[in-house]
Amino acid sequence: MNTPTGPLSSGPAPSAALRRRRPRRDGALPYALVAPLVVFIGALAIYPTVLTIIEAFFHSDPLTPPNHFVGLGNFSALFENAEVRHSMENTAWYALFGVVLTVAFGTGIALLLQRPFRGRGVLLAIVILPWALPGVVEGVIWSWIYNPTFGVLDSVLKSAHLIGQYQLFIGSHQIETILLIALVQAWQITPLAALLVLAATQAIPDELYESARVDGANWYQHITRITLPLARPAIAIAAAEALVMSINIFDQVYVLNAAATTGSSLMSQTYFITFQDLNFGQGYAISLFATVATILLSLLILKVVYRKVEFS
Amino acid sequence: MTKQRHKFLRTGALSGVAGALLVTCLAGVSSAATVSSAQRPAMQDVTINVAIAYPAPPKAALAAFTKATGISVNYSDIQWDNLQTKIAAAAEAHTYFADVTDVDWSKVGEYYQTKWFMPLNKYFNVASLPAQYPQVGSFIRNGQLIGMPSDASLLVTDVNTKDFAKAGITKMPTTFAQYQADLKQIQDKGVVAHPLDIPFTAAEGLSTYWYEMTAAFGGGVLSSSYRPEFTSPSSPGYKALTWMVAAYKDGLVPKGNLALDDYQAFSDDQAENLTASVFSDYSGDIGTVYDVPSSSKVVGDIEYIPSPGTNGAAPNLANPDGIGIPVTAKHVSAAVEFIKWYDESTNQAAFAGANGVAGSINGFPLPANNSGLALLVASGKVPGAAELATLTKDHSRAIFPAGAPPWYPAFSNAVYTNLHSAAAGQETVASAISAIASQVSSLQG
Repeated sequence: MNTPTGPLSSGPAPSAALRRRRPRRDGALPYALVAPLVVFIGALAIYPTVLTIIEAFFHSDPLTPPNHFVGLGNFSALFENAEVRHSMENTAWYALFGVVLTVAFGTGIALLLQRPFRGRGVLLAIVILPWALPGVVEGVIWSWIYNPTFGVLDSVLKSAHLIGQYQLFIGSHQIETILLIALVQAWQITPLAALLVLAATQAIPDELYESARVDGANWYQHITRITLPLARPAIAIAAAEALVMSINIFDQVYVLNAAATTGSSLMSQTYFITFQDLNFGQGYAISLFATVATILLSLLILKVVYRKVEFS
Repeated sequence: MTKQRHKFLRTGALSGVAGALLVTCLAGVSSAATVSSAQRPAMQDVTINVAIAYPAPPKAALAAFTKATGISVNYSDIQWDNLQTKIAAAAEAHTYFADVTDVDWSKVGEYYQTKWFMPLNKYFNVASLPAQYPQVGSFIRNGQLIGMPSDASLLVTDVNTKDFAKAGITKMPTTFAQYQADLKQIQDKGVVAHPLDIPFTAAEGLSTYWYEMTAAFGGGVLSSSYRPEFTSPSSPGYKALTWMVAAYKDGLVPKGNLALDDYQAFSDDQAENLTASVFSDYSGDIGTVYDVPSSSKVVGDIEYIPSPGTNGAAPNLANPDGIGIPVTAKHVSAAVEFIKWYDESTNQAAFAGANGVAGSINGFPLPANNSGLALLVASGKVPGAAELATLTKDHSRAIFPAGAPPWYPAFSNAVYTNLHSAAAGQETVASAISAIASQVSSLQG
């Protein structure tokens, strides 16, 4: 609490009524300041979440009214749906590829940018660019790269004599399709991972590297014994962020592979079930499932990767 | 669904005096279903929200509407898929979204069932509409007019006449057998390696291709009671699906088409002269895709032909757009006025390019009504308009005789995902057919 200043502090002692009122006014101010944010979050995050949890247990389909409570019926229907099960499997692959690629690229870029050099700022700005692009735009850009008729990827591979003729990359094989779409997703979220890890590496005291150098440590040992262990909190956050984005992947899948089952994701199924089939109840249920899965897997990542780091 | 919107008009010709006079004269014989704006009561200080998956009509046209009626229009051009999501979300939440919005042919059954749109029967004489609007049947369900056609659109066959000529084909095919033989001849003579364009990505364009191909084989995919008519190997639907998959696997279709949607296939293949024919193209693509010098290598080479069927010309299935009034609309009378104005023959013809680029709407296919079609043909400004008008009037047929079923989107999803999988070799034709039929049974309960 700040020391009172002004007339009240320099004049006679405040009355009992004033003493009672002042703390109430001061106490209300912080709440008033955060109230808009609380209302905003409440309206846009908490209310929809609560609604999703409730509606997930109701039959809600305007084509077959009325709405009624079905318990776990929506969930059992989803798990009986082969397309949904397939999309869950695909999403697991998206999550695996997304986390591995994002953390690998992000950490790699952070290590490259760790030490100051000429043009580092410009390079950092370029690295961040994909983060600023919407997923749909990225999907369109990469659809040109993957295009089987005139795509850059085919052109490069053919020029390098790695393929005899232009190939179809997206849509013919499940894992290949998922990997290539996950690569697009990783391209988008790698900048965030790179920034997180880079920020962590900047906080590592130089004395540690100097001591290691005196002890004869080489570049590789610097990275594996000092940088990466001390950047683990940031790597954990980056991995969790990549996981969240990968489980929720939609735009890139929709643009690059449409509704084909080879690459369908949990979110694309959510879209089709909710807005094509108008089965809102199952749409809520699959959203709730995705949310719970995301939370649990994120906690797992944090438990495995995260370590508290303190510099004295 | 990703129905593409293209710019239909690509003519550089300016509107001539004769054309303008003709348009003016023909405007006088517009349908009785449309009423002159000047005759309507003014509604001062009313602003309606209009959300359609088309660019806005020209400012001058909207200003004229406002001047005549007093109704101001707040127009939003929203991408088709996004618009459908907004319509569903607003309707489910019982919130106001727009006074006039999109009613696609494929959504009519759904909107009839959900009652998200108000029937327009009391504003339009439904019995008299078919005489003037050849595709209005797609918007009527059990006697209820869910939306008014806002354009006419149909699935058409087009061919690259130069490629056909190079292969020694001078007479265009009139039967499917002849069409198939011609494609093979083009391929064998090395004119193009893969002469047929089919967009095989798992999207709506693949479903409609199958419907049109099924019509060419002499049938439909669902009965009037929405029972599958494609499960027997001898049925037109089964044969059509088998033929399409075989065409892909045998190399009649470019391998890369497995990843191309309708618009990509037409612009990457047919416009680049990698293919010689599209069996189920969208009416208007000659003007919007193939006759565009900046992006096409086949300018002037593509022509519409009557779709070849087993015994002569096949039907051309209709996929028109409509507009309607959500039940949550705030200004119903003004919304009705807007729909009537939008559907006036002169406006429809102008939107399709009868008065030149300045008066047109980017991507507008064909006028919804016969008098608008006549005006467009008479203007002579849109390539292939006369052929399309004939096809619209004489060969156009609704995809589903009883209108689109309420669960059409889920059905279409089953069609294009399984057809795509069959072409990709991930399942057989028989299992694809079985999966689609199973989905129909499931949807019917």
